Order: sequence, then C-alpha cells, then structure tokens
Amino acid sequence: MDTLSLLANGFVAALSPQNLLFAFLGSVLGTLVGVLPGIGPTSGIAILLPLTAFLPPTPAIIMLAAIYYGAMYGGSTTAILVNIPGEVSSVVTTLDGYQMARQGRAGQALAIAAISSFVAGTLSLLGLTFFAPPLADVALAIGPPEYTGLVILALAVVVSLSGRSLRKGLASALLGALIAMVGLDPQSGRRRFTFGVPQLIGGIDFISVIIGLYAIAEVLVSIEEAMARVSAIPITRLFPSLADIKACIGAMVRCTLVGFGLGLLPGCTPGAISFFSYDLERRVSRAGSQFGTGAIQGVASPEGANNAATSGGFVPLLALGIPPTPALAVLLGGLMIYGLQPGPLLFEKQPAFVWTVIASMYVGNVMLLILNLPLVGIWVRLVMVPYPVLGPLILVFSVLGAFSVRNSTFDVWVALAFGLLGYAMRRLDFPETPLVLTLILTPILENSLRQSLSMSAGDVHIFFERPVALGFAVVGVVLTAVTLYARRRAGTGATGASRQEGS
Amino acid sequence: MMNTMRRSVRVWLAICGTASLVLMLVAALGGAPAGAATYPTRPVDMVVAFAPGGGADVTARLVAGYVSKKWGQPINVVNRTGGGGIVGTHEVLTSRPDGYTLMMDNHAVNAMLGASQTDLPFKWDERTPIARVTFDPVFYVVKFDAPWRSLKEVVAHIKANPRTFRWGTAHAGGISTFAITQFFSVAGLDIAQTNRVVFPGGAPTLTALAGGHVDFAGQQWSEVLGLIAGKKIRALAVVLPGRLKDFPDVPTAREAGFPELDVVGWQGVTGPPGLQAEVADRWDQAIREAAADPSFLDQAAKIGKVIAYLGPQDFRKFMQAEYDKYLPLAIKMGIRK
Repeated sequence: MDTLSLLANGFVAALSPQNLLFAFLGSVLGTLVGVLPGIGPTSGIAILLPLTAFLPPTPAIIMLAAIYYGAMYGGSTTAILVNIPGEVSSVVTTLDGYQMARQGRAGQALAIAAISSFVAGTLSLLGLTFFAPPLADVALAIGPPEYTGLVILALAVVVSLSGRSLRKGLASALLGALIAMVGLDPQSGRRRFTFGVPQLIGGIDFISVIIGLYAIAEVLVSIEEAMARVSAIPITRLFPSLADIKACIGAMVRCTLVGFGLGLLPGCTPGAISFFSYDLERRVSRAGSQFGTGAIQGVASPEGANNAATSGGFVPLLALGIPPTPALAVLLGGLMIYGLQPGPLLFEKQPAFVWTVIASMYVGNVMLLILNLPLVGIWVRLVMVPYPVLGPLILVFSVLGAFSVRNSTFDVWVALAFGLLGYAMRRLDFPETPLVLTLILTPILENSLRQSLSMSAGDVHIFFERPVALGFAVVGVVLTAVTLYARRRAGTGATGASRQEGS
Repeated sequence: MMNTMRRSVRVWLAICGTASLVLMLVAALGGAPAGAATYPTRPVDMVVAFAPGGGADVTARLVAGYVSKKWGQPINVVNRTGGGGIVGTHEVLTSRPDGYTLMMDNHAVNAMLGASQTDLPFKWDERTPIARVTFDPVFYVVKFDAPWRSLKEVVAHIKANPRTFRWGTAHAGGISTFAITQFFSVAGLDIAQTNRVVFPGGAPTLTALAGGHVDFAGQQWSEVLGLIAGKKIRALAVVLPGRLKDFPDVPTAREAGFPELDVVGWQGVTGPPGLQAEVADRWDQAIREAAADPSFLDQAAKIGKVIAYLGPQDFRKFMQAEYDKYLPLAIKMGIRK
C-alpha cells in the first residue's frame, strides 16, 4: 500500500469516537500544561503515563502525543498576555506578543499564534508523513562538528537581541553562559561552581530561571508601577484582519521549514529553534524593523516554529527510536511499555498503529485551532482581572511551577533569586532574552565543541573538513558582522528587538 | 422497665468504653508491630534520580504499578534529577527511614558512583538494600555497515590504528565508560591512545554511532533495541550468561571470546539507612512475587529488562562485589577523584 492509502486508513481509525475523544483530551490537557509555567509537556506526559496500564496502545499514544503538540499552542498564551512564557519555546514570543497586548491587540496576537501553530503544525506533518525514513538519515549525518557550527550561527542572534546597548546585551549573554556552566562538567564529570552545595551538582534548572526572570520579575515591576496594566487599554479587535493573516503567510512558511528542519536534530532544543526562527524572520521580513515593537510576524514565527519542531521530533522518534526532546523520551517509554519498538520495523509491522497516530495529529491540530480560537475571547478577559488578584496568582503558580520541575524546594529559591535579578535587569535596562538564549545554547556548544575535538584527537581541522559545519559557522560570523555594522550605522544601535522602557 | 433499660444502656456504654480504652492501650503499647503489619497506611514515594523515560524510571513505574495494585496503596514515582543522579540519591539517603521514601536504585548511583567519586555528600554503601529487580544488559555495538563483524576484529583494528579509533560514551563516568574500559583492559589494548567522545546520554551516543561520528560504543538493551532492529547499528556481543530470545543472532561476551566482560546495568529497590526490617521484608516479598509472575516478566522484557531478583542479603553482597569490580577500573580510567 502506498503512503496515501495508509494515511487514509489511519484517518478512518483516528476519526473513530474513542480515538477522537482521546485526541481531544490530550489537546485540552496539552493546552493547559502549556499555559502553566513550569509544568511542561515532559511532566504532563509522565503524570499520565500510568494510564497506559488501562488503555489500548493507540488511544493512549494519541493522547500523549496530543499533550506534546498541544502544549506548544498553550505556551504562547501567558507570554502574550502577561509577559510570562508558559514554555521555554515561547520565551521569544514575549518580545512582540506582549507589546501587541499593551497596544490592545492581545486578541490578535493570541489568534495569530493559534493560526500560525495550526498552519506550521499541519504543513510539517506532511514532512513527517511523506519523508520520515529518509529524513531520519539526514538527522544521523549531523554530528558534533555540525552542531558546533549551528550554535555559532545561533549566537549571532545575541547581537540582534541585545536591545539598545550591545554591552548590556553581551553582559546578559555571558551571565547566561556562566549560569549554564554550574553543575557537572559534561565531559569530565567533575563539579564546577557548586560551592559544596549538593543541589547545585544538578546545575541550575532553566525553567526556574525563566520563571524567576519573567514571571516573578514581572510581578515585582508591575507592583511598583502602580499596576498600570494592559487592562487599562481598550481592546481594539479580537481577531486579526485578513491583511494581518496575509502578512504572516511568508512567516508561517519560513518558520515551518526552520522548525521542522531543526526539530529533526536530536541535539537541538525547541527553545533554541524558536529563537532561530524569530531571528530569521526579523532579517527576512519586510516588517523586520518593527520587530520588538509589536510586529504580528514576531508572534507568528516563533509560535509556528515550535509546532513544526514537534512534528520534526517525531521523525527520529518513530523512524529510529531516538527521542530528540525529554518529552519524547517519556513518550518513547510509553511506546516501549506496549512493546511498540520504534524504528523502521514499526512502520512495517504496525502500520495501522503508526498511521493512526500520525493521522490523529492532523485531527488534533484542527481540534486545537477550534479549541484555541474561542478561548482567545476568554483569555483576553484574563488581563482584566484586577492586578491585586492576578499578581498573587502569578506568584503562586510560579512557585508551584518551579517546584514541580524536579520536586525540589531548592528550585523555588532559585526562581525567587532570579526574580530579583530579573527585576534589577529591567530597572537597569539589561535585556533578559540573551541570557535565556545562552543558557540554552551553552551546553550544546560546550558538548559539541569538545566532542568534535575528541573525535579529531584535538585537531581543529575537523571543522574545516566538514562543509556543513564550516558553512554554518561562516554564515554565523558573517551575520554577526553585518548586524554589528548595521547597528553602528544606525547610531544608537537599536535594531528592533529592544525592550520598550516603561513596561 | 425504663430503669432496667437505662441500666443496660449504661452497662453497654461502660463495656464499650472499657473495650475501646483497652484497644487504644494495646495499639499504643504494641504500636510498632501493629503499624508495620498494616504498612503502608499512606502513599509511598519511590524516588528515581533520573528523568522520566530512562531505565530506572521505566522499571520504577513497572514495580510501582504492580505493588500498588497488590497493596491498594498508591506508589508514586518521583523523578528527582540532576548531578548524574547524586541529587536524588542524596535526598533519599537523608530522608526518614519510615518506609515512605524509597528509591529505584541502579548501577549508576550505587557502587559505580562510590568507586569513581570520593567526595560524595553520602556514603555509597549506607543505603538499606531491599531487592534487586532487573538486569539491563550491555551490548557492544558498531555502525551497521562497519567493516568489523566481531569483537576480535574490532580489537585487531584498534591494535593497528589506535589513534584514529573513536568510541562514544554516555556521561563521564557512567556504565558505558566502565563497559568500554573493561573491554580495552581485557583485550590488552591501551585506552589512552584512542579517542573518547562523551555524550550527554545514551540516545545521543547511539545517534552519533549510527551516523558514523564514532566507531564503537557499549550501551544498554533498552537504548539499543530500536537502532539494532532498524539496521542502523550492529551488536557484536551482549553481556549476559545466555543469548536473548529477542536477539538470537547476538553472541554472548563469552561466545565472542571475552568471558571476563561482566559490566551489567541493573535496577533494584533500596531505602535510607536504618530502614525498618518489617518494611524491607514486605517489599522484598512483593517483588519476589512479581519476579515469578509471568505477566510481570512479559512486561519487563518489553521494556528491555531481564528479571534478576535478589533478596536483601544477596543484594548487599552483589553491591559490594560491584564496588570491588569497579574500583580498579575507575582508577585505571583515571576518573576516581
């Protein structure tokens, strides 16, 4: 049977009432998990894994997968409304999404996030449907030297995220790199910067950092500013105009390609992918100069990219049994409990299962769109909740979220400490996005650089002998140079992504 | 009539009161045995020092599912990750030994850690052993289209080209490092001449192997299953006494000519130091039962585990033997610190 008829059979099975119900449950839970900071798809799937004891494999995996991609829809909600990313992959959405909300365009931002998620999610599923096995081989060809090049390319983004002062941006980025190094040295296993504190051996969890820097710092700043809130601004219109959607079509296509392509790579985290997509869009889009001030493409791009990345991630998972993200590692555990060993044989031996799950993802994306668009109206009212009620609620969820990641009170203290740091950074006009970006990228860079040098017995030629690695690195260096030059010419150097003061 | 009734009510009340007082006294005096007989009276936390989806986690969920069904009391699997398992282990070993905080222990955070790190925040052997549950055997693997078809051929190749040979391991001091170090040592090869590439976990190590970025690795069953079945990597030997039913073509280390290879992954239940013997016995009994239950065995095989039950005394001896095995290897590798 060819792919299309297999997929058609998959749709028939996916549309059965039972499978529809579990896809819907997964979508709802995923959205919820995405909205709550701290509780991500990994813990969401892990909590529901015991249900596999009661369910047949197909509906169980349909539900767990729906939690995973559903979380990508939910992550943008709080990022846009209250400047607090629900997931790491929505950090960059705060830049333009929150600005849009401040201009009374929260509804449009939420709606475009859902639409872009749907478009990119669905387009990238076509990639999963038709090219999974060959693309899996591409993922294998990407080794440590290529990852090193890719991170050098990603670091070019730091310059464009630096806001008005390059020095402040770099300081923030270096702080992020330093924080990422706390814990065990990944290559030698030796401890560094742990100061004899056992909990620090595990490193500083980035979810606690994000909760502190964004949620807690935001509450502190808002309290100080006498609660001059979004709610004071009249909401202009709930849904984007046709012209808005048209303006985002290019962004949606580009973010699908970036998200799906990078999502295939087991060494590339979803957080890094949305940054990549945002930066690409900022450079390519006609609205690029408005990025950071509430450009609708600045919301569409990262939100679409993280959804495309989830479909990309299923390629190595299903075709090779390699989970590219922690959440998919848990899902792999679920598959194994059923004796469904991922790999090319899964497609041959269990075609009904594989194609039903893939078909259910198309269905789930439609459900999520239908679910999320009417929710826009409700979410928008959330910001009308008086701040004396909303602020404490945000703090409660922040503490819960920080605790839930590793079930550790230590992480709550970390979040509170980063809340103070975030407050200081905002007051002193240091951008916090470069910190988050290097926090995500430093472990990838450190590992891949040292792995590459181990592969070549310490010879740096390895980077010059591998064209893909060299290509990435050269583009990264050129982009950095171009951006620096543009900043100099612009005088003040504000290239768009700067935080608007007085927030 | 009324009086008689009132009196009988009073008598009954007195009897009931005395009886309940006696019962309370008995309960208070004999509290320990009575309490232990009904353990667990509330949910039990089973800590896993690693992220969900790993070997210890999957085994913990399997055991927790079985035992909670048997006892009618929830067994919560709690993932406390970080520091290569040190953080979660430390928490369990410093928790109250009341039987409500136990851990799904494994090779990595037990003797292997004790052998390779001298400055741990806890003593590796102070935990209370309850029962070893499963083995997660090591497979020595190469890329599927690699020119070597046996471990002997790999040895011959390394002897001829040590400087360009690259092997991958997951984590700096983990089981894969021990497995490869033991292989080099048994084969009489100088490990220092070859190139070691460290990856953050089994999945990235095997991805790099399948992509040809490293030449050789020693990883566990649950990690290699998919890639072997998908013909991306090839297993040259499995470290077990007999061949696995699922991999009839993969020779044991003994058959491959290396009977000395014995690095093995395992999972077992342990508790904090000074755990009550009654609690340990009750758990041991439940796990012994599970290990003989065909449906449990079947589930274990599906997640890449071999049942390898040992009771508390034998488990303690096994842990010590592990330590004695890994200490010289850790010194040889230069990772003991």
